[in-house]
Amino acid sequence: MSDWLRKVLESKRATRRRLQALSFSEKLKLLEKLRDRSRAIAQNPLRQRQHLKD
Amino acid sequence: MKATLEVINQMQRDEVIGKYAIGGAVGATFYLEPLATLDLDIFVGLRAPRGNTLLTLAPIYDYLTSRGYQVEKEYLIIEGWPVQFLPPRDTLEEEALGQAVETEVEGVHTWVITAEHLVAIALKTGRAKDFARILYFVEGGILDASQLDQILKRHGLLEKWEQFGVKFLRGTR
Repeated sequence: MSDWLRKVLESKRATRRRLQALSFSEKLKLLEKLRDRSRAIAQNPLRQRQHLKD
Repeated sequence: MKATLEVINQMQRDEVIGKYAIGGAVGATFYLEPLATLDLDIFVGLRAPRGNTLLTLAPIYDYLTSRGYQVEKEYLIIEGWPVQFLPPRDTLEEEALGQAVETEVEGVHTWVITAEHLVAIALKTGRAKDFARILYFVEGGILDASQLDQILKRHGLLEKWEQFGVKFLRGTR
């Protein structure tokens, strides 16, 4: 494993630890933002057109 | 979410539901980093209507729709969140509901299924997203191994857990 990849993985683990340590209320606020983002992506006309093609 | 939980707590005070606990991805978020999801799974103890021994979700639907909440497929939309009410299907889910931990969201009391029960339920359900969630729990190092072992033993899931380990955990433990 290269140093670069090791750093990427360590940074990812650190971010997950930081998020894990947040309070439930704070995590739920982030989760709501994720949900709104997912809904916006799902409703995007470009994505729906791609869906029809598939 | 706070408003959604306030409505569910009111349902409990109005004796429409018994004990409840958050499961699924939102329940897992209590222990892990936020996991993207579009719905809220609520494990719920049902109360039989007076003079009736049959337990159904009808009182929940009646209560909420009479207050203007909409039904969409298997969900009731409560304050913006699609909520699925899940009565325990087996002894594992009954135990999970009984042992749920109390917490609060922005000052609102609520209950969440324990991490070990969430893992056991995910293992039993066995979809790809359930297995992915179990891996998050394992990698997060937050499971009480002896607690999980006892639950898996009690509910006949040890063999499934071993298969899961062979398939997904080789080299990570």
